[in-house]
Amino acid sequence: MRGLDRRYWFVLPALAIYLVFMIYPLFSGVSLSFTTFSGVGEAKWTGLDNYQTIFTDSVYLKILSNTLIYSAFVVVFQNGIGLAIASMLNGLPKVRSLFRTALLVPSMVSLVIAGYVWQYLYSPLGGGLNEALAALGLKSVQQIWLGDPSIALIAVAAVHVWMYIGYSAAIFLAGYAGISSELQDAARMDGATRWKRFRFIEFPLLAPALTVNITLATINSLKSFEFPYIMTGGGPDGATMTLGLKVIKLLFNEYKFGLAAALSVVLIVMVASIGLVQNAYLRRREDRI
Amino acid sequence: MSSEGLQTQSSGEISVSKRTKTKNKQRWVDRFQVLFLSVLAILILLPIFYMISMSFRTRREIMMDPLGLPSSLLIENYQKVAEAMNYGTSIFNTIFITASVIVLVSILSSLAAYPLARIRHKLSTWLYILLTLGLVIPPFAGLTPLYLFMRDLGLLNSYLGLIIAYTTLNLPLGVFFYTSFMKSVPIELEEAARLDGASYLKTYWYVVLPLLRPITGTLGLFITLTVWNDIVYPLLFVTDDSKYTIMVAVVRFLGTYSIDPTQLFPAAVLASAPLLILFMLLQKQVVSGITAGAVK
Repeated sequence: MRGLDRRYWFVLPALAIYLVFMIYPLFSGVSLSFTTFSGVGEAKWTGLDNYQTIFTDSVYLKILSNTLIYSAFVVVFQNGIGLAIASMLNGLPKVRSLFRTALLVPSMVSLVIAGYVWQYLYSPLGGGLNEALAALGLKSVQQIWLGDPSIALIAVAAVHVWMYIGYSAAIFLAGYAGISSELQDAARMDGATRWKRFRFIEFPLLAPALTVNITLATINSLKSFEFPYIMTGGGPDGATMTLGLKVIKLLFNEYKFGLAAALSVVLIVMVASIGLVQNAYLRRREDRI
Repeated sequence: MSSEGLQTQSSGEISVSKRTKTKNKQRWVDRFQVLFLSVLAILILLPIFYMISMSFRTRREIMMDPLGLPSSLLIENYQKVAEAMNYGTSIFNTIFITASVIVLVSILSSLAAYPLARIRHKLSTWLYILLTLGLVIPPFAGLTPLYLFMRDLGLLNSYLGLIIAYTTLNLPLGVFFYTSFMKSVPIELEEAARLDGASYLKTYWYVVLPLLRPITGTLGLFITLTVWNDIVYPLLFVTDDSKYTIMVAVVRFLGTYSIDPTQLFPAAVLASAPLLILFMLLQKQVVSGITAGAVK
C-alpha cells in the first residue's frame, strides 16, 4: 500500500456519508422498483411489471410527454430570453449590474412561494393577470390559465421561465465578460453589423456559458415538481402531471413505493442520458469553435 | 462639444463626422435598449410587488378592486398568519438546520477536495467523478429507500435526520466548488508548510482551510437556498409540526389550491423575506456563485 497517497484518508468521511445516504438508497431504489412494495409488509417481486406499466399505460405516457414538453419550453425560452437580455446588457456597462440584480430577484423567492403567488395571479376569480388584461382592454385574451387543459402546462412552465430568466442572463453575462473587448472593437471598426457581430463573434464565444445554461435548465426542469404540486396538483385532467410530481404522489398519496421507485429510475435515466448527450454535443461544439 | 471641435480640423473631416453620426445613432440605440430593458424588468418584478402589495390589503379591499394598492399598511394579516403557521419556530428550525448543514458540508467537502485537487492520479479523478455525480441526481431519486432507511435508524421526526439528508444532498456541490477553487490556488504555500515539517492535517487546517474562505461564503449561500426551498425531505421525514422548516410550514398552512389572499400573500412575504434580505446583502456572492461554472 506504499503507493497510495496518505491524503486519500481525507476523502473518507465525505465518501462514507455519500455512499451510505446517497448511493446506497439509489441502488436499493433500483431493486425496489422490481417489486410492489407499499411501505409495510413484504415486498413482492414482480419483475419488470412496474416498468411495463410506465411505458404502456396511457396515463404514464402522458406524464412522460408532459415532462418533455415542460422541459423543452423552459430550456428554449429561459435561455433565449436570458441570452437576448445579456447581449443587450453587455453593451450597457453603466446599468449592467443594476439590471442583473433586479432580474435575479424572482429566483430568490423560493419555488413554493412563486407557485402560490402565480396560482393567485392566474386565478379566474380576481386573479391579477386576468384583471390586468381587462384593465388594458384585452378582455378577449383572458384565459382560465390553470383550468384549461390545453394551456395549463405552458402556463406552469412559464412561471419556471419567469423565475430563472435572470439566472440564465447572469451566466451569459459572465460568458460575455470573458470575450475580449479588443475583438469586439475590431469587428465594429470593420463595420460588422450588430447581428453579424453577435452571430459570428459573440455567440460562438459564448459556447461554455451556453453549455452550462442548457445543462442546468434541462436538469432543473426535468426534475421539477414544485409548481404543478402547488398550482394545479397535476390537473386539470392530468394536463400538468410531471414525472417528479407523480413520484411524490405515488409516495405520499397512493403508497405505491415500488412504482414510485421505478418512476424515479426512469427519471434518473432520462436526466442522465439527456444530460450526457447534450453535454457531449455541446462540449464537442465548444472544441470545434 | 469635442466632436464639433474635431470636425473643424480639416483633414479627416468626412470620416470623423461619419463616426460622430454612428456614435449618435449608437446612443439612441442604447437609450432605446435601456428603456426596453426597464419595461421588461418592471414586468418581471411586478409579481413580487403584487405579492407585497396584496399582503397588506383586507379581503374587502381585494374584492372591490383586485388590482388596487393597500389603503394602509395593515399588519393584522401578518399577525394572524405568523401565529397560525408557527412562524418563529419554523424560522428557528430552518436556521438551525441550515447552519448545521453549512458547517458539516464545508468541513467534509473541503477535507475531500484537498486531495482531489492536489493529487494527479486515476483514483482521485474517479473519486471526484463519483462524488460530483450527485449534482445531477434528482434529490428524490433514492427517496423511497432513504425514507425506509431513516425509519430503521430511528431518524424520522428528528433534526438529525434532516441534517444528514441535506448534508448528503449538498456534499457534491461542496466537493465541486472546493476542488475547482483549490485548483486555482497556487500550491507553493502548502509545499512550504510541508517543508517546514507540518503534517498533512496541519497543512489542511492552517494553510488550505483559510484559503477557502471566500468560496465558503458562496457555498453557504447555495446550501441556504437548498434548505430553505426544499419541501420534499421535511414532508417525508417529519410529521411533528414543531420541527417543520419554513416552506413546509407554508405548504401545511396554505394547503394546495389555496385561494384566500389574506392568508396566501402574508405567508408568502413572511417566508421569502429572509431570503430576499440575504440576497440584497450578498448580491456579489450570489452572482459569483451562479457564474462559477460558466467561464472555463
